[in-house]
Amino acid sequence: MPSATDDSAMDTVTPPVGGPVGSPGGVAAKRRRQAWNYVAVLALVSALAAGPILVTNSYYRYAGVLMVMYMVMATSWNLVGGFTGYVSLGHAAFFGFGAYCTGIIASDSRSSVILALLATVGICLAVAAVIGVVALRVRGSSFVIVTIALVYMGSLLAQGLRSLTGGSRGLDVAGLYTFSTRAARHGAYIVTFAVLLGVVMFLWNFIDGTKFGMGLKAVREDEDRAQSLGVNTTAFKVVAFALSATFVGLAGGLYATWTGFIDPIFVFSVQISAQLVLMTLLGGMRSLWGPVLGAAIIVPSGEFFLVNLPEYHLVSMGVMLGTVVMLMPNGIIPTLRRLWDRRNPPAASIRELAGSVGALDTDDADVERRAGAPRAVRA
Amino acid sequence: MSLSVHGLTKRFGGVVALDDATVEFVPGVINGLIGPNGSGKTTLFNIATGLIAADAGGVTFDGRRITGMPPYRIARAGIGRTFQVVRAFDRMTVLENVLVAERRTGLRELVRSAIRGSEVDRAMGWLHRVGLDHLADADAADISYGQKKLLELAAILMTDPALVMLDEPAGGVNPVMIERIGDLVVAAKRNGRTVLIVEHNMEMVMSLCDHVVVFDRGRAIASGTPDAIQSDERVLQAYLGV
Repeated sequence: MPSATDDSAMDTVTPPVGGPVGSPGGVAAKRRRQAWNYVAVLALVSALAAGPILVTNSYYRYAGVLMVMYMVMATSWNLVGGFTGYVSLGHAAFFGFGAYCTGIIASDSRSSVILALLATVGICLAVAAVIGVVALRVRGSSFVIVTIALVYMGSLLAQGLRSLTGGSRGLDVAGLYTFSTRAARHGAYIVTFAVLLGVVMFLWNFIDGTKFGMGLKAVREDEDRAQSLGVNTTAFKVVAFALSATFVGLAGGLYATWTGFIDPIFVFSVQISAQLVLMTLLGGMRSLWGPVLGAAIIVPSGEFFLVNLPEYHLVSMGVMLGTVVMLMPNGIIPTLRRLWDRRNPPAASIRELAGSVGALDTDDADVERRAGAPRAVRA
Repeated sequence: MSLSVHGLTKRFGGVVALDDATVEFVPGVINGLIGPNGSGKTTLFNIATGLIAADAGGVTFDGRRITGMPPYRIARAGIGRTFQVVRAFDRMTVLENVLVAERRTGLRELVRSAIRGSEVDRAMGWLHRVGLDHLADADAADISYGQKKLLELAAILMTDPALVMLDEPAGGVNPVMIERIGDLVVAAKRNGRTVLIVEHNMEMVMSLCDHVVVFDRGRAIASGTPDAIQSDERVLQAYLGV
C-alpha cells in the first residue's frame, strides 16, 4: 500500500494560490467573504438587540420577538435543509418538544427556568440524534413524510400524557425575565433571541467552510458519490440534524417562557415547520442570509396583513409569496447574487481559461512525470 | 492492495450481469478490464465499491473481505473510483468538490482537518496536478465534461487511494484530455497505486495497461498482457468481433 510518504512528491506540489495560474476570484476571496460574514452577523445581532431602544410600542416589540425567533428557527432549519438538501417538515416537533421540556422541568423560580432551558438543550440533542438515525434512513419525499409524522406524534403525546403536560388544556410556564411590563419583557426576549441568532449564524457560517460542511453539501448534490469518496454520510446527516433540531428546541423552550403558556395544538403544528421552509426558500436556501431575510419579510408582512386585512391575511400572504416565487424561484439572495455577477463579470471567463487546459504542463512535477510515460493516444 | 473477485454473481431480474466471476487483478500495475457492453464490467465496479449488493460471491481487497461493507468504509480502506457518466457536485465550487474527499485517516486527523486550512493546500495541489487550479472557484456545473472527469480524478486522489478504479475515463473526452488522463494514470501507478480501468478506447487500453482482463457474459474469459490479449482467439471472437 502506498504510504503517505510515497506520494509526497505529488502531495507537496506547491499550491499555486496567488501564483500565475491562480483563479480570478482566488480561494482567498471565498474565505474573506466568510470572515466578513462574522462581522456582518455581529452587526445584525447588535442592530436587532438595539431595536427595543428605538421601538417602545409593546405590539411592535411583540412582533419583533416573533421575527427574531423565526430568524433563529429558519437558520437552524437551514443547517439541515440548506447543506444536505433534506427538507424537514418535522422541526415543529422539536419546537413543541423543547417548549414542553422547559415547561415541565421549570418550576416558579427563575434559576429553575434557566436550568430547564439548559436541560432542554441536552435532551433535544439526544432525542434528535436518535430520531435522526431513524428518519434519515430515507431520502427525498419519504423523508418529508416521516418528518411530518413526527409533528403529529408530538401533538398526540402532548395531549395524551395529561399528568405531565396538562393534556389539551395546555401548560403554564414560568418566565425567564421578571420585568413588570409586557413591553420590557418583549424587549428582553428580542435581545435573547438576537444573541441566539448570532450563535446559530456563526455556526452555519463556520460549518460552511469546514470539511464537515463539504460532506453535507456533497450529500445534497450526490449522496452515493459522497460515500464513495469516504464520507460517512449517515453520521454527517445525523449530526447536522441533531444540531438543527436542538436550536429549534431551545427556541421552543424560550418561546414557552416568553408566552408563559403552551398550547399543544399550536406548538406542534406543521404550519410552523412549513413557515421555516417557506422563509428559507424565499430568502435562498444555500445562503447564510436567506432564512434571515425570509423571516424578516414573512413575519412582519404576516402581521401587517393580519392587522390591516384580517379577513384576507392568508390570501394576501399567498399572493405575495406566489409573486416572489414566480419571479425568483431560487430565492431572493441567489437571484440578487446572479444579477451582481452579471454586472461584474470575473476578470477571466471560464470558457477562455478552459481553452488553456492541456497547455499547463509546465511545472516540475509534470516535466518529471512525462519522462518515460507512454503516450496514451497518438494524436 | 490486491483486488480479487471470487464467484461473484449478480442478477438484475432475468439478466445475469455477473455469472460466477472470478478474477485476480495484479497489484501495483495498470489493469485493464475490457469486454462488450453488458458483460458486467460496471456491475463489478459497483459491487466492489459497495454501491450494490452481490447475490453470491465476494470481493477481497488487501486480504480483507469488503463485500457488505458500506461504500464509505470501502473508500477509506483505500479504493477510489470514478463513474461512467461523470458525476460532479454541481452546486459546489471546483475546490469544494475536492475537499469533500476523506483521506484514510484516524479520528484525530479528521478533527484536525475539520478546519479547512491544511486540506485546502492539499486540494489545491491536486487541482494543480490535474490542471484545474485556475478554476478552483468556479461552480462545478460550469466546467466542461472533460474537466469534470479531471475533477473526479482529483477528488479520488485526494482520498489517497491504494486502488484507483476508473470507469471509462476516456468516454466523451477530447484527445488532448485523454492524453492528460493517461498521464495521470501512469503517475498514479508510479506513486505505488494499483489502477483498474474499464475502457472501450482500445488504443488507450493497449498502450497504458500492463495487464488486461477480458469479460464476456458476466465472467472473465481471458487475461494477460495487452499483446497476448490482442492475439487471443476467444477475445477476438467475443469482443473485437473478428
